[in-house]
Amino acid sequence: MTALAIPAGPATGAAAARPITLLTTVQHSLTMAWRGLLKVRRTPEQLIDVTVQPILFTLMFAYLFGGAVAGDVVSYLPTIIPGILVQTVITTSTVTGVQLREDMDKGVFDRFRSLPIARIAPLAGALVADVLRYVIATTLTLVMGLIMGWRPVSVSGTLGAALLVIVCAWALSWIFAFFGVIARSASSVQGISFLILFPLTFLSNAFVPAETLPRWLKAFVDINPVSHVVTAVRGLTSATGGGSDVLFALLGAAVVVAIFAPLAVRGYMRKA
Amino acid sequence: MLRDTTALTGRLMKQILRSPDTIITVAITPLALFLLFRYVFGGAIQAPGNYTNYLLPGILLITVASGVAYTALRLFNDRQKGINARFLTMPIGRSAVLWSHVLTSLVSNLVTAAIIVAVGFAIGFRPQASVLGWLGFVGVLVLFTLTLTWLAVIPGLTASTAEGASAFSYPLIFLPFLSSAFVPTETMPGPVRWFAENQPVTPVVESMRALVEGRPVGTNLWIALAWLIALGTLAYAVATHRYAKASR
Repeated sequence: MTALAIPAGPATGAAAARPITLLTTVQHSLTMAWRGLLKVRRTPEQLIDVTVQPILFTLMFAYLFGGAVAGDVVSYLPTIIPGILVQTVITTSTVTGVQLREDMDKGVFDRFRSLPIARIAPLAGALVADVLRYVIATTLTLVMGLIMGWRPVSVSGTLGAALLVIVCAWALSWIFAFFGVIARSASSVQGISFLILFPLTFLSNAFVPAETLPRWLKAFVDINPVSHVVTAVRGLTSATGGGSDVLFALLGAAVVVAIFAPLAVRGYMRKA
Repeated sequence: MLRDTTALTGRLMKQILRSPDTIITVAITPLALFLLFRYVFGGAIQAPGNYTNYLLPGILLITVASGVAYTALRLFNDRQKGINARFLTMPIGRSAVLWSHVLTSLVSNLVTAAIIVAVGFAIGFRPQASVLGWLGFVGVLVLFTLTLTWLAVIPGLTASTAEGASAFSYPLIFLPFLSSAFVPTETMPGPVRWFAENQPVTPVVESMRALVEGRPVGTNLWIALAWLIALGTLAYAVATHRYAKASR
């Protein structure tokens, strides 16, 4: 029995004739997102960064440095939990670009090209699937904080803070998706991401009050967008409220998406 | 034996000189930590005296802990490439092979440590030590490096992958965090404080700090020496036994 050779290329016949509408694009993107979730289920070690990191960082910073920074561990928690929450979730957003590049290197996207699906679906699906990572990281950090004695003022404020962090991380993931599309290898995406995120997360008010920093460093910390997100989260989880920092964080997220979503999509479409 | 060790050490030193990036790579993480704690956490952490002076010994220990991973890696690579097997066919003192790796580690780690100290001076490290204090400071650092290097020889001889050979250093790098290297142990909660005060890094850090600041070392130096000599002797015995077993 001879195998039938089907040439690779655009889908033929009825499938190709069927127009790709906005609804089908959404359906295809959700299917691709489901593929991303299945990958996680098959290789759960992919979630190490969102499970181990928040637990380890929260324990380490609170128990090792809490007493030296704030007098005791519990007094340090209102400072450190929002800081670690933002740092962990934002760091997680780099995975989007790394996995995108890995998929492109493996030739998986070449296969998708031969299917009668919306060309944008694999990219959109990856970005949707990664929201699960942000939810896991957010939940674990908040739960760790609660176990250790952190007491946010209101449930609604805490949920608002969690939502804000997830939205900001999702917005940032477009930057890394763009790097994933244009970079040569997954390791270079990781390298670029680290070079951007290390100064942004550590040179912020995430771990210590900005007032304790040297003047030249405080000037940078005050304009650092991560500091605004951290301040917004602290505000939402405490009695002060988020105020202008929440608006600033959301506006920043919108600007990032407005700039990098078209760049990522254009770069992706050129390669796909 | 001495001539063999010198020749083999020269061979390994040439490898390092051909790729000096390893020294830079080893220095980068401790330098980043040094700057991070000095400028970001320094103002918030309540530690006695000059915080740069307080930090430096711990940063040097982290430098050594990350540096010895390369010793394990070099030894593993020699084993994988069959170079160790070739040495066995030559009229070379058997212990010279291991000692060459240990001495190379000592030299390269001291060079990296010198870079860290130079950066320390640039960002506010102000030692008060006498010549004797400096000799003691360097002596403790040398002994710490030798102890950790002999520990590194064991995975270098036994690991089945390159990652496995160098992965042993991760807990060693993390150990200074659970000590008085960054913050005084009095500020830590109960169980963490108990562990920090009873693990080997704390007396090493405290004695180095006292020596470089010209303060009396108290019992810390003797506790540090006891830990280092005991661990070093044990590691040396295990490493030489493993090497002798592999050489048969």
